[in-house]
Amino acid sequence: MRPHWSELPEEDEDDDYGAGTMVRPYTITRGRTAPERDDLTLITLMTTVEELADQALATRSSGPRGLQPEHRLILEQCRRPAAVAEVAAGLNLPVSVTKILLGDLIAQGMLLARAPISVARAAGDGGLDLGLLTAVREGLRRL
Amino acid sequence: MAPSAPRPSSSSSLPSRAPAPVVPAAVKILIAGGFGVGKTTLVGAVSEVAPLRTEEYLTRASEGVDDLSGVDNKETTTVALDFGRITVNPELVVYLFGTPGQERFWFMWNDLVNGALGGVVIADTRRLDTSFASIDFFESRGIPFVVAINCFHGHNTRTADEIRAALDLDPQVPMLIGDVRVRTFGRDLLLALVDHLMELSAGAPVR
Repeated sequence: MRPHWSELPEEDEDDDYGAGTMVRPYTITRGRTAPERDDLTLITLMTTVEELADQALATRSSGPRGLQPEHRLILEQCRRPAAVAEVAAGLNLPVSVTKILLGDLIAQGMLLARAPISVARAAGDGGLDLGLLTAVREGLRRL
Repeated sequence: MAPSAPRPSSSSSLPSRAPAPVVPAAVKILIAGGFGVGKTTLVGAVSEVAPLRTEEYLTRASEGVDDLSGVDNKETTTVALDFGRITVNPELVVYLFGTPGQERFWFMWNDLVNGALGGVVIADTRRLDTSFASIDFFESRGIPFVVAINCFHGHNTRTADEIRAALDLDPQVPMLIGDVRVRTFGRDLLLALVDHLMELSAGAPVR
């Protein structure tokens, strides 16, 4: 069992795009203020498509369709699946700005998005997915 | 974007020699309660990573808002929330979101509450009233929740029954008393929530 995070040595949290950035958020999105897609939620999980991403990351060009530094950071972070909220925290950008950048990468096929598990059935008479609850329960018991 | 014409999945049009990566899916649990009651502390106690913080811009134009009488005149508000994660298995991740202390903002942030599995309301016996709004919020939205009476200040002079009465809790709502800094208490709270969800799911209509 892995040690709890509080028992691990502290990591250096500074990064090139951390709190020190002076770039206004909507400059990063090239003026766009709304995402092209409206299906990304806080816990939509993003995963980098390694093959395509590696090709793009190896290309140094940063033309109009090229990768911005934020795009590169996202692709690196999402090699391990990460939620939209985690990506936003990693970039130190608001969620809405992050969604625009994620949309760029999804459109180029470099990022896969998986929607959250729907719990909406609870509102009806069918109840929640017992298999899901059982899995969550088993995971929590190991804490 | 027209909802009737979704963008085709970009992966389908690509040459895919490599096997598709296993992409886990996520569920969300909300941690609520008055300001300074221990929301981020609880998130940190059970999270596998140090609590992360993210922000969102909320504007008055947000849908579903019809009463902003308590909000000042700013066009845009920035709301921060802290969250953590528990990887249940390779295919399932649980995210815990400590909700902004002022519940009036929640209505402006539908994404935060939509699709939540359930919630934990933390209350402090010295100022139970600061958690009324959280309880009202979950009840009004039909989101199942459990109540944590946080005793990290060491003194709890009231009995469980007194607290239940003061909070006007439905008898079915589980209530646990403990220290939210302690991981096993955090775990027990989340397990109580899952058990509660299973009970509700097992048929018996709540009302």
